[in-house]
Amino acid sequence: MSSLVGFLSLVIAIGINFYLFLSRYIFKFKKQKFNLFIRLSSLLTLLSFFSLMYAYVVSDFSNYNVFQNSHSNKPLIYKISGTWGNHEGSMLLWLSILSIFSFFFSFTKNIDKSFQRLTLIIQSLLHILFGLFIVFTSNPFLVNSILVNEGLGLNPILQDPGLAVHPPILYAGYVGYSIVFSIAIAGLFQNTDDEWLYVAKKWSLISWTFLTGGIALGSYWAYYELGWGGWWFWDPVENISLMPWIAGLALVHSLMMVRGEQAIKKWIVFLSILCFSLSVFGTFLVRSGILTSVHSFAADASRGIFILLIFFIVTGFGFLVFLLKEPKKSNDLNLLFINKVSALVINNILMIIATLTILLGTIYPIIIEVLYNKRISVGGPYFNSTVIPIMIPGFLLMSVAPILSWQTNKINNSKKYVLAFIVLSVLVLIQSYFLDFNTWGFVGLLLGFWIILASIIAIFSSYKIKINIKFFKIINPHVAHIGVGIAIIGITCSSVFQNELDFNLNEGDKFIVNGKTVLFEKIETTNEINFQSLRGKFLFDIEKNQSKEIEAGKNYYPVSKMITSEAGILHQWNKDIYFILGDQKNNEWFVKVLINPFVSFIWLGVIIMMYSGLIAVSRR
Amino acid sequence: MKLSHFYKFLHIIILGFVFFTFKIFAIENIEERVKKLTLELRCMTCQNQSIYDSDAEFSNDIKKIVINKLKAGESERDIKKFLVARYGEYILFRPLMNYNNIFLWSFPFILLIIGLFFILIMSKRNKV
Repeated sequence: MSSLVGFLSLVIAIGINFYLFLSRYIFKFKKQKFNLFIRLSSLLTLLSFFSLMYAYVVSDFSNYNVFQNSHSNKPLIYKISGTWGNHEGSMLLWLSILSIFSFFFSFTKNIDKSFQRLTLIIQSLLHILFGLFIVFTSNPFLVNSILVNEGLGLNPILQDPGLAVHPPILYAGYVGYSIVFSIAIAGLFQNTDDEWLYVAKKWSLISWTFLTGGIALGSYWAYYELGWGGWWFWDPVENISLMPWIAGLALVHSLMMVRGEQAIKKWIVFLSILCFSLSVFGTFLVRSGILTSVHSFAADASRGIFILLIFFIVTGFGFLVFLLKEPKKSNDLNLLFINKVSALVINNILMIIATLTILLGTIYPIIIEVLYNKRISVGGPYFNSTVIPIMIPGFLLMSVAPILSWQTNKINNSKKYVLAFIVLSVLVLIQSYFLDFNTWGFVGLLLGFWIILASIIAIFSSYKIKINIKFFKIINPHVAHIGVGIAIIGITCSSVFQNELDFNLNEGDKFIVNGKTVLFEKIETTNEINFQSLRGKFLFDIEKNQSKEIEAGKNYYPVSKMITSEAGILHQWNKDIYFILGDQKNNEWFVKVLINPFVSFIWLGVIIMMYSGLIAVSRR
Repeated sequence: MKLSHFYKFLHIIILGFVFFTFKIFAIENIEERVKKLTLELRCMTCQNQSIYDSDAEFSNDIKKIVINKLKAGESERDIKKFLVARYGEYILFRPLMNYNNIFLWSFPFILLIIGLFFILIMSKRNKV
């Protein structure tokens, strides 16, 4: 029953969008009615999504999709998250978020009504495209032809609270760029004033913030679930999410130039189209099964071709309009070495180079396989030695960029910065000599601390310190950059200064980690609702009274016959102590302990960036 | 002081540091060399995991091979050649810098040069 409701409302919603698109040129709608229809179609799409979710929650196995991807004895949260833990459901989630964005956009005030309608028409077109894709190639409402009492279960690796919320947030980022795309195209068609740039800025900041959150959740999940002690692997799927993120960052920064009355519309439109194209392209690569990873569920060639088609339609249409309806030439940029405009231009160029390099590195193995029928890998080392050096000048610039002037290349208090930089580099150098010296470690620490220090100097020497909301809005760019600096320190320390210790232990053994005695208490096996768990229990720092308990082990999921590793992590503000329980050999357990310094700084930095993304939304 | 001077200055400092550190700290012990090398090798039986990170049987075997060969005095290059001959280029996370991959490796730097020219042209047009 719920499947029927879901399918009908999905189809009706697509029908409404068709009608809206056609009626624009046949009937003349009153504007309230137009918005009403948009909202109606959004609500219907949501209804369709929730009826699928309902089928999952009540384990309605007469729905083929539920049968394939769910199981009745799962905790409720994984029944809910199972809705998007498969291809069909996640595409429906994609469409639902698209319509949520249309829904909220239809309420925007202070915007030209005909412009708003044009934007929503383009959204409707996207809705139709993706809606048809779902109906024809990935319908989640198919009826199960056999009668069953039990489902096949959800991939255990997805049964995790972090991964339950990761897809909706990431999708909100991806799909958010659809609105930016529609606004940019509408802006090209109407080409009236620059008002749309401010609207685009708000929505691109919202999408960027969501995307940041989604990526961070994904890598935090990788950190504690994959159990290798790393959090970023330059995996193709990660790269795919990183591309729209960097392009989106470039977009947000170029939209700053609107405020400096230096609008470079052409470039902004280009970036808006690029961001959404990259999002769709990412969906294509992941969903087509060309890349293998936890994200590519059952792969099906016809879906891949359909998404590729959508990608070509969207990108082709976008760039075609861009070429035909090129925005009027804006006034020349006031480039000086170095003022704010040139800093922003350099930043944009570097970010685009980084995006394109990641794009090439990600699809290069596919190209080589098609051309030469040879398999090669392009992995972390390639990206580390191309993308990171390219970004370094950008990191150097960002420390002072927010206080640069639009007009001249003079900077106040420049002596302060030079002095601070010299003192800082000597300090970091001395520190590096006492620890193991590492070139990347040195450069990373220097950059991170320099960004933070220069931003703080800039805040204190350029603005009057007041504690009110307006002040926080003014210093927001600096705050965002401090967040980046903190994240850089965390990234550098955790990757360069990571320490690994290996032990072979019996139950009851004591061993030393980081100067503290750790007791390997016992091995415990328990039966949970949907898995069996094997846990090694460790007591950290037993000499103190408040010793901390750490559990590391594995889970066995009988339904899908899979084993997942569960790392035990002791979080401290300046380091994570990361326990991995290996296999048992000759009556001894292999235990790996990783000491990851300053990992928490990465997440702190990301949270600060997201905070300032949100603050920037409210600032005009 | 103009900011441009400041940045030139800053750039020289950083380049100097990087250069010296490469010179001084080139000597590493075997353990570090093993880590550095195995981080650049793919575990063929895992999913996008490096041999260093993985505890699969395949990875442990390769780790042993790498350690033995390094102890025997073979260079990283020789070891990579040996592994490529055995398992194919797929095992290398860092693609070979050879004629076939010239586009892959030069692409970012070509873009960088185009970007530089772009800025130069834009700023020249400004001055006129």
